[in-house]
Amino acid sequence: MSFTTKVHSDDGVVTIRLTGELDSRSAPSLNEVIVEATAGTVRRLVLLAEDLTYMSSAGLRCLVFAHQKLGRGVDIVLVGATPEVAETISLTGFDRSLVMQDPVER
Amino acid sequence: MTGHRLTLRGGEAGAGRRLADFVGVLAGAGGLDSRRSYWLRLAVDEITTNIGQHGYRGLGGLVEIEGAVDEERVWVRITDEAPPFDPHSHDPGPRLANGVAHEGEGGLGLYLALNGLDRLDHSYVDGRNVNTLVMLRRAGEVRETDGGTDGSDDRVGGR
Repeated sequence: MSFTTKVHSDDGVVTIRLTGELDSRSAPSLNEVIVEATAGTVRRLVLLAEDLTYMSSAGLRCLVFAHQKLGRGVDIVLVGATPEVAETISLTGFDRSLVMQDPVER
Repeated sequence: MTGHRLTLRGGEAGAGRRLADFVGVLAGAGGLDSRRSYWLRLAVDEITTNIGQHGYRGLGGLVEIEGAVDEERVWVRITDEAPPFDPHSHDPGPRLANGVAHEGEGGLGLYLALNGLDRLDHSYVDGRNVNTLVMLRRAGEVRETDGGTDGSDDRVGGR
């Protein structure tokens, strides 16, 4: 059960690709990545979630953490979430604080 | 009926892969579709994580997990020796409706578990919490191959 991230930053747009399973054990590492990746000026945080196969409430709290850290002026865009991950987010109402997008062509 | 058992000792969220595999086998035997299989796994993960982090306060303790498929349902029973705790008593649903999730309100995991399952029953018996998580089998999920008990017992040692 692994979880990995790949970060890319360009002109204030921070993109983090999420791969694997985000649970109570892997969530702290994502929080660290978010802190490090958003240390500078951030206009937008893009989370690529096509390969995120599982997300528990611990992962959801990572999104809440990012939202609190970046503030309301910074969009958080979640791209390509699986139906189950998207349902997890919408069930708690947090979809109102994210921009949910369909997957991009690779 | 097909039954399986898993014992975690000392684990907090504990043996995530084994939990996932455990639920996967049950859900497969019960013919649950991928969505309902996912939500059963999520509920088992959230309940066991909550037991480890809050029930045992991260100090570890016994968590017994057994599950089976019968004609009408797939069920998983999670037993622990932490202080009495009924997941229904900490449902943050009303607060979430007011957008409290944005403030990092606790109880998200229990909320997901309670909403993803068809039923969750709690009782406190002989010093143990017994949580029974249920997914009802829908038309098309009950197969003629059901029947028999394989009695597998997958025990996991401490950390």
